[in-house]
Amino acid sequence: MFWPIFLRVITSGDLWQASLQFAALLLLPALGGVISERSGVVNIAMEGMMLIGCYVGVVVTLASHSVLVGLLAAIVAGGLLALVHGVVSIHLKADQIISGIAINVAALGLTNYLNIVQTGGQGIPTLASNLRLPVLNWGPLAQLPFLGQVLFQQNVVFYVTIVILVGLQFLLFRTNLGLRIRAVGEHPQAADTAGVSVRLIRYACVVASGLLSGLAGAFLALGVAGTFNSNMTAGRGFIALAAVVFGKYTPLGAAGACLIFGLGLALSVRLQDTGIDSNLLATLPYILTIIALIGLVGRTVAPAADGVPYEPGSAE
Amino acid sequence: MALQTAQPRSPTPPALETRSTAWLLWLRRVGAGLGRPLLALLLALVAGVIVIMITASGSLVDRFNASLLAYGYLFVGAFGNAANLSFSLVNVTPLIFTGLSVAIAYRARLFNIGAEGQFAAGTILAAIVGLKCSTWPGWLLVPLMIVTGALAGAVWGGIVGLLKAWRGAHEVVTTIMLNWIIFYVSDWLVSGPLQAPGQADQTLSMPPQTHLPKLSVLYNQTLGHFLPTISQPEQYIVDISFLFALVALVAYWFLMTRTTFGYETRVVGENPRAAQYAGISVKRNVVLVMALAGLFAGLGGTLQLMGQYPYEVIGQVFRNDTTGFDAIGVALLGRMTAIGIFLGALLFGGMRQGGSLMQLKANVPGDLVYIIEALVLFSIAVQFLPVIQQTIVKRFSAARRPTVVAALAGGVIDLDQEPTNGAEAPTMNDPLLPGTGRAALADGQGQAQTPAQERQHQQNGEA
Repeated sequence: MFWPIFLRVITSGDLWQASLQFAALLLLPALGGVISERSGVVNIAMEGMMLIGCYVGVVVTLASHSVLVGLLAAIVAGGLLALVHGVVSIHLKADQIISGIAINVAALGLTNYLNIVQTGGQGIPTLASNLRLPVLNWGPLAQLPFLGQVLFQQNVVFYVTIVILVGLQFLLFRTNLGLRIRAVGEHPQAADTAGVSVRLIRYACVVASGLLSGLAGAFLALGVAGTFNSNMTAGRGFIALAAVVFGKYTPLGAAGACLIFGLGLALSVRLQDTGIDSNLLATLPYILTIIALIGLVGRTVAPAADGVPYEPGSAE
Repeated sequence: MALQTAQPRSPTPPALETRSTAWLLWLRRVGAGLGRPLLALLLALVAGVIVIMITASGSLVDRFNASLLAYGYLFVGAFGNAANLSFSLVNVTPLIFTGLSVAIAYRARLFNIGAEGQFAAGTILAAIVGLKCSTWPGWLLVPLMIVTGALAGAVWGGIVGLLKAWRGAHEVVTTIMLNWIIFYVSDWLVSGPLQAPGQADQTLSMPPQTHLPKLSVLYNQTLGHFLPTISQPEQYIVDISFLFALVALVAYWFLMTRTTFGYETRVVGENPRAAQYAGISVKRNVVLVMALAGLFAGLGGTLQLMGQYPYEVIGQVFRNDTTGFDAIGVALLGRMTAIGIFLGALLFGGMRQGGSLMQLKANVPGDLVYIIEALVLFSIAVQFLPVIQQTIVKRFSAARRPTVVAALAGGVIDLDQEPTNGAEAPTMNDPLLPGTGRAALADGQGQAQTPAQERQHQQNGEA
């Protein structure tokens, strides 16, 4: 009973289309996590930044009747929340974990609060299809058997994500700026001595993580769900965090992790007929991450100065 | 170099402290201990007023009045009468347990984000025992469930400690992962093996012999024979697990301040290298501390399951429950002291309860409580008061205080590494913990010399 269903599911374009979509949704905040942690600022608040992106995206789209404005607002909202995290953890040298938890709690509280105040508890209506992020039209390519459905019938944000992924990998490992970012995360004293502004780099990277998370929120609310629900991110920001660690703090690694996690998510919905429980399958990303952490498949090591506020002149 | 610079600057060595200075120091510590949390709370409440004023309608005065009205209902809903207070205490009980879980880990400088997961592990394991052995007599089943739940939490927390000690896996990441694993596992159990017949996503009620009695009912049956009885005891829904929470607070206080284990834990938290020099097994301590943290949280989950209607586990409950995360605020606000955790839990638990009345009567969404909570966390994280203090000190005295840096995610303490010349020793003056800063280390110096000191002594001897 298991194998026929499994084979049918695994060869369907539908499964892989959904996997890639899930993966892209996880990858955006994960890339944010990578860049933030690489610069030495721990960010466990992608969940909250995504949620704010969801809410602001939907509300602004409804108010402005333009999905583009909503998208931009979502990105900016995520960036602003990240800026708070930046000020608190870079400037005020606060505990970055506490700040991250506070941002998650604040995002949950703020979105629920505003949602209730605004709609009187009615909930936000579903968006009309012209107010959603569209699926990109690739013309004849989309008609290809299998590949057409998997690669060329995706939401426009999916392709943006791939561009960002490649760009970020190139930026971090092939450019001068990327070297500086990594230096700031590994040894801020040395970077400072070499004339790199540790604060500037860290601020830029934290805000970038917020922008990416906000984009992910817009993707989720405006592209996938088409509405806003309370706590609609449902832990995706934490799976993204898992992907960051599992992917060894590199963009491509995180992408690989997100692919595995996305496939797991897509499979968990479709394999219910076979008797494999979707809840048990959903634990897979987290178990894999722990295995990666304890080094059974190549140990994951965080950047050396990750989470340590930088104090100019504190070099030994 | 924090160790070396800190030493010569101590104005008076601990042994030479006169009684009056010790008293003054104590007073200062209490003042600092109370001042920072109160300031954090005050800032959060003021910010809450601003949030209400922004979203309310009418003139500025109307808006301000609306916010005061909302706070009034928040308070009345939380503590206004005995029935409301009893509802609040129902929230307070698990917050005390999970707050203790966070606090005990933090004493060893471990950040337990996994209290919710350990809470869930305790609940779900106790539920399994309760449902599978539902025909057993209460005198056997009640202790069995409590022990099982506590042990399940201890195992779930102990895994974190083991991974940290064995492979240096950072506890923040592992606890988050373990949280979600147990959330999904419990969802699987609730919608599968433990599912109540004919119900979606919930278990049967625990067998009636395991239900913990309500405090008021228990009082009427015991002390009520000698003292005035409580009429309508059923409306006061807090059960005896609140008493267990109080006992747990005392146990925590005793453990941390009166036992070798507590002392070792604090030394490990302050300075693992010094601890190693003193012959304390840091790895063993890390595992034990995390197991104990899990034990507290697991106990909290178990007692809530057995104490409160409907005595069952429902699907996705832990995913949406914030107890284990509120506990971080409770522990930080309480500055890791037993009495502080009690007060913090009372505040947060009360606000949760009062929030619903506020929404009903003042038309301000109860989610405001989350916003206040987040702002409390921010204020504590930022520590405005020390920042202001430091600015003043910097301005008025030439002597600069040693930098305060809490080594976190990246600063994984490499337990295998041989201590070097103290240059990279984690700094120890975390202002979050008044009693465990320099003063606590000073206590320890009779027994545990820091590497830097020891080296100095050796050099002196050679000279």
